Amino acid sequence: MSLRVLIVDDEPPARERLSSMLAEAGDFVLAGEAGNGEQAIDMVDQLTPDIVLLDVRMPGIDGLEVARHLATLPAPPAVIFTTAFDEYALQAFDSEAVAYLLKPIRAEKLRAALAKAERLSRAQLQQVATATRTAAHRSHIGVRGRDGLRLIPIEEVFCFQADQKYTTVKHLKGEDLIEDSLKTLEEEFATNFVRIHRNALVNTKYLERIARDASGQHFVHLRGLPDALEVSRRMAGDLKDRFRI
Amino acid sequence: MNHPPQYPAAPGEGPRQLYLPNFCSASNVLIIILICELTALLLALARNEAALGFWSDLGLTSMFLLWIALCGAALLCLLRDYLSRQSVAVSAAMVLTMTVTLVTVVSAVTYYFGFGLLQDQHWSFLARNAGITFVVTALALRYFYVTHEWRHNVELQAKARVHALQARIRPHFLFNSMNTIAALTRSNPARAEEAVLDLAELFRANLNEKRGQIPLAEEIDVARTYQRMEQLRLGDRLRVDWKVDSLPTDALVPGLTLQPLLENAIYHGVEPRPGGGVVTVTGEFNKGMITIVVRNPVPLPSLTVRDGNRLALANIKERLGLMYGDRATVKAGRFDEEYIVTLRFPFTTSVADA
Repeated sequence: MSLRVLIVDDEPPARERLSSMLAEAGDFVLAGEAGNGEQAIDMVDQLTPDIVLLDVRMPGIDGLEVARHLATLPAPPAVIFTTAFDEYALQAFDSEAVAYLLKPIRAEKLRAALAKAERLSRAQLQQVATATRTAAHRSHIGVRGRDGLRLIPIEEVFCFQADQKYTTVKHLKGEDLIEDSLKTLEEEFATNFVRIHRNALVNTKYLERIARDASGQHFVHLRGLPDALEVSRRMAGDLKDRFRI
Repeated sequence: MNHPPQYPAAPGEGPRQLYLPNFCSASNVLIIILICELTALLLALARNEAALGFWSDLGLTSMFLLWIALCGAALLCLLRDYLSRQSVAVSAAMVLTMTVTLVTVVSAVTYYFGFGLLQDQHWSFLARNAGITFVVTALALRYFYVTHEWRHNVELQAKARVHALQARIRPHFLFNSMNTIAALTRSNPARAEEAVLDLAELFRANLNEKRGQIPLAEEIDVARTYQRMEQLRLGDRLRVDWKVDSLPTDALVPGLTLQPLLENAIYHGVEPRPGGGVVTVTGEFNKGMITIVVRNPVPLPSLTVRDGNRLALANIKERLGLMYGDRATVKAGRFDEEYIVTLRFPFTTSVADA
């Protein structure tokens, strides 16, 4: 069965060229074309392509951010970055994607990259996804609703709270359910979030104070969030020391 | 100076100029006369010559000084070409010798026709005048030399900055353009050909070292060529609204004045916005002053902020300043949701007017 490829680029001529080269590459079919980052994440959701040809520089959500979102999927597609010129980031592209291609792209280089993506096993793709997730955290959290994908800037997130099955993200504009596990979120956002309880991760930027109720249970208050959050006894002292609250 | 045939050269180009002011020019001769009269007035006031009376003293002193100054200016004007070929030390020595000799001769003639009005001894009169001339000329030469060196340095720096600006074609622009052309070669060869020609024109504008000052029409052309290139890539996300019909097309501007502003406007204001944006270029011509305003929407705050390129703006400011002095102004800033750059400079069609 031929592999399905999604082309992501904000420039129409660049998409046009890639799709015509893809048609000549043989065993690949075009799954779709996305003109920006948000559309790309949405289309990967709906079309589940095997390979994504992803432009690095795009307006709004750029290619690197798209790759980080794709890396959180249970079965991430193989990402091949395309870029015109990025002196400093080339090495990162190599470890966080299956391959990168420099524009204008040569047909044989495209074929080689596609062939490489085709050869990779599911496990190897997961490995690339893990490398992507650990290299840098996303700048937005993707919420998939009925009306498609919404992106919440990470600095607007108060906290993540885990239920049995889902994770709730509380943010400036309300709350939403996401599929990411608390464990992977904690790893990804270790620099600006702190675990306060078995089931909660809070943004350190909003930490206000810690209080204790009559029963001796600690609660943390976040600036801008009405309800206080439970803090485990072990974390309470730690939080006080670390954040002087 | 050897000008290239079509345009005046950029500052700092061509052979090294003589550090002395040009004594052939009418305005400089006028300044010399003014200085002589003021000096004569100063001397007459200070001396209070009872025997002659104030007005006669002033008249005679003026005549004496004007003779020296105008003869000196005429000699320096005639010898200008010759002096400019000599080293600084040699030309300075020659000018000193020349002025001292001139003053001594004029003093001798004055003494001879002095009608006994001068109470000084003959030799003492000549020696004092020669001494004064030597000191004044030496000081003046020093002053001319230092200011000339200073101006020369400023020009060299400006030239270096022009080169920095020229070398600054964004690699992204180059490779993206190449990619666009590669795509068009398949789908629309005629447009691909146009794009190659446009790209060649842009590079020529950027690489041409001889470009000093060019007609405004030509600079607008370069900016429009740049727009066409970006239009291929960005499609209908990029709109540029040109309102420049009222501008005089023959006004002189430093090369790469408008194009970098349009480039910045597109790079910061249109490209990072998913929905694109409109850049407005407005030109006004009023009371001999040209005003060009470039506006673009500011990037959305939540999106990735691009590295600024203040270099281009500072550079344009400097080069307009070098050409028009205080009469040129460059202002830039954010107003509400727009980033606005305003250039203002006088209308000229030749360097001499500037």
